[in-house]
Amino acid sequence: MNYNVPKVQYLRIDHLVTQQNRKEKEFLSQFEQGNYTFESPLIVENPYLINPLAAMVLFETEEEVNATITVKGKLDSTADISFSFGPAKKHIIPVLGLYAVYENTVEIELSDGRKTTVMVQGGELPALTQQVEKVFTSPEYMADNLMFVSAAGKSLPGGYDHKGDCRWTLAENFVFDMKRAKNGNLLCGSYRYSRVPYHAVGICEITMAGKIVKEYRMPGNYHHDQWEMEDGNLLVLTQDFHRDTVEDQLALIDRETGDVLRIWDIRGLFPMDVGKSGSWSEHDWFHCNAVWYDKATHSLSLSGRHQDIIINIDYETGELRWMLGDPEGWPQELVDKYFFTPVGNGEFDWQYEQHACLITPEGDVMCFDNGHWRAKKKENYLLNKDNFSRGVRYKIDTEKMTIEQVWQFGKERGQHFYSPYICNVEYYADGHYMVHSGGIGYVDGRASEHLLPAFLDPEDPTHVQKSITVEVKDDVVMYEMHIPTQFYRAEKLPLYHGGDNLFLGEGKVLGTLDVTPEFDTIPDSEEVSEAPSEWNQIKIVEEEDRFTFHGRFAKGTLLMLCLENEKESHNYYISTTARPALAMCVGSFMAADDRQLSLNVSKLGFSGVFTVKYILDDKKFNTGITITFP
Amino acid sequence: MITEIQSREEFKTLTESGKALVEFYSKTCGPCKMLSFVLKDVDKTLDNPTIVVVDFDEYTDLKESYDVKGFPTMLMLKDGQEIQRMQGLKQKRAIIEMIENA
Repeated sequence: MNYNVPKVQYLRIDHLVTQQNRKEKEFLSQFEQGNYTFESPLIVENPYLINPLAAMVLFETEEEVNATITVKGKLDSTADISFSFGPAKKHIIPVLGLYAVYENTVEIELSDGRKTTVMVQGGELPALTQQVEKVFTSPEYMADNLMFVSAAGKSLPGGYDHKGDCRWTLAENFVFDMKRAKNGNLLCGSYRYSRVPYHAVGICEITMAGKIVKEYRMPGNYHHDQWEMEDGNLLVLTQDFHRDTVEDQLALIDRETGDVLRIWDIRGLFPMDVGKSGSWSEHDWFHCNAVWYDKATHSLSLSGRHQDIIINIDYETGELRWMLGDPEGWPQELVDKYFFTPVGNGEFDWQYEQHACLITPEGDVMCFDNGHWRAKKKENYLLNKDNFSRGVRYKIDTEKMTIEQVWQFGKERGQHFYSPYICNVEYYADGHYMVHSGGIGYVDGRASEHLLPAFLDPEDPTHVQKSITVEVKDDVVMYEMHIPTQFYRAEKLPLYHGGDNLFLGEGKVLGTLDVTPEFDTIPDSEEVSEAPSEWNQIKIVEEEDRFTFHGRFAKGTLLMLCLENEKESHNYYISTTARPALAMCVGSFMAADDRQLSLNVSKLGFSGVFTVKYILDDKKFNTGITITFP
Repeated sequence: MITEIQSREEFKTLTESGKALVEFYSKTCGPCKMLSFVLKDVDKTLDNPTIVVVDFDEYTDLKESYDVKGFPTMLMLKDGQEIQRMQGLKQKRAIIEMIENA
C-alpha cells in the first residue's frame, strides 16, 4: 500500500487468476500434508473465492474406487444434485449446487459400498445475486438442469433449480454470453471492465466451481457474444478502438495462445448509414450483438441491432451471402441481391433490433426479436406500451431468396414480454425452444417509454424491472421463471458435465491488452500544489497489466488523466457527460452515482515510472501516486 | 480564426461563402470545453481557417435549421451548405482532415 497523498486511495490487486492459483496451492498442500480419509475428509468452502455455493472435498482411499457425490435437496430428492467421479485413490471432488447460508447434507458413496455424509456450509450469496420471484416447471422437465442467467443490470450471474433456488452464482461480474465449451467449462465475458459502457478486457473460460482456467485478453476488448469452433479456437465479437466506430469486428482467437488469428471487418461490407434502426448512431452504427457459425454452409451469421439486420457471410472469403431484415431504407441494389421476400399465407413480421441469431439444424434462422421501435421511419415507431418482443423462427430459401415465418412466441403477451434490448433464444429440437426476455421494464405499470430498462431505479417504487425466461415445447409452456431485474441471456445447463469437472493447475492470462489511445491536445491548466479534494474520491487501482483511475466528477467538467515524468507525458481525456442511453446492453459495470467515472490504462506502449496527475477544468492536480510501466 | 458569433447576421457573414467549420457547443458540456482547446490547436495548425462557434442554448433557431440534436456538433459548411457533420469530441487530426477535404 502506498498512501503518498492521504486524499487519494491507492490499491494494488492481483488478478483473480493469481489469487485462485495461490488458494489452490494452499488447499492442495494442506491435503498433501494431512491425513484426510473418507470418514474425515478435508472440506474447502468456496475454493476459488468467487463461488460461495461450491466446495471441494478431498480424501484418500487405500484402493482405487469411484466416488459419487450428492448434494441433498432442501425439501425433497427432486432437488438433489449428484455426480459420479472416476476411479482414484486421491479424491479431489468439486461439490456444486450448495444452498446459500445453509448447512448442506452431502452424501459420498464409494464403489466399494461405503457411504458417508458430511455437512458443508453454503456461503452467503453476494448482495447482487438475485432471488427468483416465481418459477413454473416440473422436476421431470428440468431433470438435473439449472437455468443460468448472465447479468445485465445490477445483478450477478446465477443458476436456479426447478424450485427457483439459487444453486450457483459468481461473486464477480462475468458478463454477456454464457456458453458451455466442449470440455464442459463455461465461456463468458471477463469480469474485468475495460471501456465505456460495457466492454470487458476479453473472455474467460471458467469451471463451474468458479476457477478461471484462462482469461483471453483482446486488444479490441470483448462485447456481447462468442463461439467455440470445432478445433477449440474462439470467435469473439470485438472492435478497433483506434478508429471512430465500435462493435463492428469479429476476431478468431487461438485457444492455446490467445493470439488473434484473424479479423472479419463488418465495415466495408455495405454502407453504414442506411437501414438505420431507431438506436443507430454514427459511432455504434451496426452494434453487432451475436455471432453464429453454421458448419453446413461454412458461414457466419452476425446480428446488427442498429440496422435491424442479420447478415450471413462466407467464413473463408468474408463476402456477404444474405441479409435478413426489413428492406426499407436499404439501397435497392443490396435489396435485390441479398434480401429475402416474405412468402406464405401465415403471419409475418420482420425483426427489429434483434439479438442472439442462430441457425437451426434445418437451416432456419431464429433470433430474439426485441422489436424496439418496430419500424424504420420515425413516424411509424411504436410506443413501447403497444409493442411486443418475441422469439421467432424464419424458414429461408437462399436460392429463391424467400422467407417465411414458421413460429413465434411472445407477440401475444404484448408489453408484458417486451424487452427493448438484450435477450436470447435457444433451439433444442424442432418445436422445443427457449425464449428469454430479460430486459423488461415498467414505469407506473406500463412499459417504460423514455428510459431503457437498464436505467430504471430499483429503489423507485414506480419503476419495475423484470426478466422472464420461458421454454416452450410443441406450443406448451414447460418452464417459466421471473426474476425482478435484468439478465442479458439465459442458458439451461446441468452443473456437472461429461468433461473433466476438475481442473487443477495454474490458470493463465493470455492474449494482450491494447495500448490505451491518448488524446493529442492538452488543455491549458495551472499545476496546483493543493491535494485533490476528498469529494472527488480519487482512487487508483493497480493490476499486473493495467491501472484504473477512479473518481467522482461533476457533469460538464473538463477532465484529463496525465501520466508524467521528466522525459514524457501521456494524456487521456475522460468524458463527464451523461451515460449513453440507447444501447446499454450490460449496465452491470455502471456506478450507482453516474458522476463516478473510471478510466483503465494498460501498461503497454511505453515504459518508465510515471506520476499520475489529472486536469480538472483549469487546474492540474498531482495524486502523488506513481505507476511503473514495465 | 475562431469566432464566437454574437448575432445571426455575423453567422451569415462568416458562413455564406467559402469553407467554414461551425461548432455548436454548450457551456455545461465537458467535451465542448475540451473541443475548444482542440479547435485552438486546429486554428494554429491550419492557414487561417474559418471556425465559427455557436452557443447551442442561445441560437436555438440556428440549431433547428441545421437539425442539430446534441453537443458538441461540428458542421463543415461550403458556401453555406452543409457537406459533412461530426458529433461528439474529435481529435485534432480528424477535424483537420474534414476541413482539408471540404
